[in-house]
Amino acid sequence: MASLTLYPAEERLEGGSRVTFDLYMITAVTLFVVMMLIGLTMRMTQATWLNVNPALFYRLLSMHGAGMVGTASIATTAVMWFFLRKYVGLHLWAFVANYVLFMLGALCVIVSIFFGGYGALWTFLYPLPVHGMGLWSNNASALFLVGYLLIGVGSLVFYLDAAAAIIKVYGNLGRGLGLQWLFGGEINPDHPKAVVASSMVIIANSLGILAGSVVLVMNLVNIYYPQITLNALFAKNLTYWFGHMYINATIYMGVMAVYELLPRYTGRPYPISRPFIWSWAASCLFVIVVYPHHLMIDFAQPRWLTIMGQVVSWSAGFPVFCVTAYGAMTNIHRSGIRWTMPSRLMALSMFGWAAGIVPAILDGTVRNNLVMHNTQWVPGHFHFYLLLGVLSMVLALIYHVLGNRANAVPNSGLDRTGFFVYLIGGLIFTLAFLSAGHQSVARRMATHLPEWTLTDKVGSVGATLVVLGMLYYAIRIIVGLLGRPVVIDTSHAHPADTAG
Amino acid sequence: MKPSPRSSALAGAVLWVILALPPVRHVLESELTPQVLVQIPLLALAGALLARLFSRRLDTVMRLWNDGGIPGLLLASVAGMTWMLPRLMDASINEEGYALAKFLTVPLLVGVPVALSWPKSGFVTRGVLLLEVVATAFRMGWLYLVSPERLCSNYLLGDQQRLGKLLVAIGVVIALVLAWQLIWGRVRVESPQ
Ligand code: HEM
Repeated sequence: MASLTLYPAEERLEGGSRVTFDLYMITAVTLFVVMMLIGLTMRMTQATWLNVNPALFYRLLSMHGAGMVGTASIATTAVMWFFLRKYVGLHLWAFVANYVLFMLGALCVIVSIFFGGYGALWTFLYPLPVHGMGLWSNNASALFLVGYLLIGVGSLVFYLDAAAAIIKVYGNLGRGLGLQWLFGGEINPDHPKAVVASSMVIIANSLGILAGSVVLVMNLVNIYYPQITLNALFAKNLTYWFGHMYINATIYMGVMAVYELLPRYTGRPYPISRPFIWSWAASCLFVIVVYPHHLMIDFAQPRWLTIMGQVVSWSAGFPVFCVTAYGAMTNIHRSGIRWTMPSRLMALSMFGWAAGIVPAILDGTVRNNLVMHNTQWVPGHFHFYLLLGVLSMVLALIYHVLGNRANAVPNSGLDRTGFFVYLIGGLIFTLAFLSAGHQSVARRMATHLPEWTLTDKVGSVGATLVVLGMLYYAIRIIVGLLGRPVVIDTSHAHPADTAG
Repeated sequence: MKPSPRSSALAGAVLWVILALPPVRHVLESELTPQVLVQIPLLALAGALLARLFSRRLDTVMRLWNDGGIPGLLLASVAGMTWMLPRLMDASINEEGYALAKFLTVPLLVGVPVALSWPKSGFVTRGVLLLEVVATAFRMGWLYLVSPERLCSNYLLGDQQRLGKLLVAIGVVIALVLAWQLIWGRVRVESPQ
């Protein structure tokens, strides 16, 4: 069971671990700010408040999509590493290798977009990368794909090291997931939720990365040997299998922060249960087969795949989400929790996940998808759970670490203001997208019809607030992480003693 | 009981010679599928068996030059990739020089380094390599299936497509076995030698 000690000794970061963790998180928050500024530029362009030419818009959209997905991934990988290392022997070199490969990959992506003009978006859907129409060269597309390959190998190295460590302690990944307790047996109450979640992420995301590495290389082959043409629908299947799993994994890595930290802030145990194990096992399977909900409009897709995508969409995220949200609520209810930054961010993350999943499920239904497909409903739902859900999970952990270093749980007036600005901005921004989707405003359009600009303008106001909130967080976090830690032994402190 | 290094090496040498016999070569090279799925893997196996003879003697060299088995596996990957090129497979049938190169490099630059490096490599290195093997099987299979023209001038399109299907099937089987092993099986994760 996760410890109820606020800052347990085995979580303390020292030496290389501390430097690497800080590097991950400082890089992540900096990239989030930069990518949000790019997002704001795009939203204001749609609102006609800025005049960005379409060629640049699609480059910015490619950068924003790839950059945000990548950043969410490294930030949540750091969350997984932070907690998993307490239970199994992770190697620091694997965590460092992931960072280095990510940075190299990011460099390729940035060069291909800003120097090569690449604008075929983060989904690199075949055959768009080879149809630059003079805006970008095939070499630029190739560099973008190589960047993805490097990032994928980095994740794989980290996952394999984590898999080895879990197998060493628990025997295999199935036992890490807790499958031995699905149908009976006494569940070990000390079996860490972080190990369950990590096992699931390793299985699902490694398969996704495998699919990605196949389709990326085949795209590269097509770039240099155009006579080898690919089946576009098959390539799309693999691409979405990879992309969907990669971004989905961020929520499953991020949620470990809630499992581990929430009980410490409520002062109440948050034990593992059979429904919890069932939900993770089910989601592990479902998340692997849910991606066809991205292809509901592809009429040539085999019917059974579309039906599977529809049915599984209704159940893929649900089990883990329900068990987690219900578990979190019962953990908080009447616990006498004192709201500080980490606990506030965790509650927000549960809300962001919950509220974001509903429009996602609506869109994952064939009937609705016929109308909603590729409207701004889609960025509406995923910004909801990424911006308010996943980012809040990451920020909760960072604030928790800041509290450990400063020896006081962060909760200043400025922090609270930053939180409020981010929350209000986030709600306005995401609801504006959903409202635009409701009016069938197409997504991924550089120029909007005059009738569409009202939601663009409202969205831009919300986005400005989000950027301000994130900018505050980033400065606060960078200063906090780089500052000197207060050296007082707090290993037995309870939140009530330290909240300031 | 594990066979002694001598008998392994002897088996390797015999296998090497058998593969080089003209009738055997003729059978294995008459179609693309047996060349890719039987001849080349068996040549690598011959090299791997031979390697047992001098694996001890190479200990110091290995410690200096083959840290964690990574350089050796990289060498084997590069050499292996070379022999995936249809043009080279073609040439190895048409020209004796290329045939000799195949019979020397596949055992010595693929089989030997894999045999010497595998025991030294850790879980992560092995995992990356195995996933790359699966991905390569899918990629090559896909390539052979969709290529509109014959990639090797010695072989027919139908042969090429059959190989494509088999490679995809092999990729699926290896991926399933690996997934099964990791999720339900017994995996030994010991530190490399
Ligand atoms: C201030 C915050 C943000 C702003 C202003 C913003 C803005 C935008 C805009 C305008 C789009 C294009 C919408 C369209 O298709 O019409 C977009 C797409 C996207 N955003 Fe954001 N975003 C923000 C935060 C985030 C975050 C936190 C993430 C992920 C962690 C994210 C991930 C994405 C992705 C994956 C796309 C899809 C790109 C594509 O369609 O190819 N964004 N964003």
